[in-house]
Amino acid sequence: MTVALAVPDVLVARAKAGDQAALESLFRAFETPVYNLARRIMRTPEDAEDVLQETFLEVVRSIQQYRGEGHLWGWIRRIAATKALMRIRRDQLRAAEPLDEEPVGRPGTHVGANIDLERAFEQLSDTSRSVVWLHDVEGYTHEEIAELMGKSVSFSKSQLARAHARLRRMLGEGQGAHA
Amino acid sequence: MMHCTMDDLLALRAGEASVWARKHIETCAACRAELDAVYQRVAQLKALPALRPSRDRWPVVRDAVRAERWRKRQTWGVWSLAAAAALAGVLLMRPNQGALHAELAQAKQQSATLEDELQRYDVDGRVLSGRAAALVADLEDRIAVIDGALTSPTQDAQLVKLWQQRVGLMQQLVTVRATRARYVGL
Repeated sequence: MTVALAVPDVLVARAKAGDQAALESLFRAFETPVYNLARRIMRTPEDAEDVLQETFLEVVRSIQQYRGEGHLWGWIRRIAATKALMRIRRDQLRAAEPLDEEPVGRPGTHVGANIDLERAFEQLSDTSRSVVWLHDVEGYTHEEIAELMGKSVSFSKSQLARAHARLRRMLGEGQGAHA
Repeated sequence: MMHCTMDDLLALRAGEASVWARKHIETCAACRAELDAVYQRVAQLKALPALRPSRDRWPVVRDAVRAERWRKRQTWGVWSLAAAAALAGVLLMRPNQGALHAELAQAKQQSATLEDELQRYDVDGRVLSGRAAALVADLEDRIAVIDGALTSPTQDAQLVKLWQQRVGLMQQLVTVRATRARYVGL
């Protein structure tokens, strides 16, 4: 999903001054891209909605720190990604699962079956989904992902490679020389 | 024949591949097809439709922000009362500091008193008409803006002006709340 949303400076200035209508306008402008990012990373719609809510609470609290360097979406997206990854980390700690563990596929799906990409993507572990989405779709570098996750660059790279290999298997593409 | 691994393919995509991988991809049709598949997968991921929330979360965010602002204002009220008392003490010790400080102390004292008065109307629990709620929200926003300005270093004269504006808005807020409370008999 490409977000090419230009927000007028005056709207940001009003939001910084605490103007409720301006803050709501920012919410309306970015709620879909924020939710979409969160939903692609999180496992359930409820978790994604919580990330959306936490993101905008943080945006309202911190908007005065936004100095207008770079696109506002980049700033908000970073908050959203951080909130989503924090939630994943917290859930993994609660479940005592290692960060890079591959999940067991959902009932009714089989590795190697010719399922569509969206469903295959959902089968990846939380960490793999996060790395794939942030790197391949949102355009984050491995360095940025490593910083967001508190991991090394090589961790991010290996997660991406493992995720692509898994997607390839799930999509039934591994029939040739690379099988 | 040795083929590219997924690490090699992703490195090729990123322009960071080894010399071997770069040479190999030129001669191996299978690996070129694999690299093409990687590009296609990424393009398909980017083309997935945007997912939208099923519920409107703005009311929850807005209410949480208002509650935070209200808590901050209460803290401000306590601090301003303490500051007013301290300033009054200083003025007693140094009578020549002038009317400016006296005005400042008076505005802070009034603000603190109004905060206390406002609490009597149980701000978050009362029923308000749509018009009154909009008025209250507007006044609260304007007070929040002033509170934001008060956190920045400001000259005494400007400080007095800001505190007096704050008192004016607080008085309006109390009036709206008190009127509504009388009207509904709460």
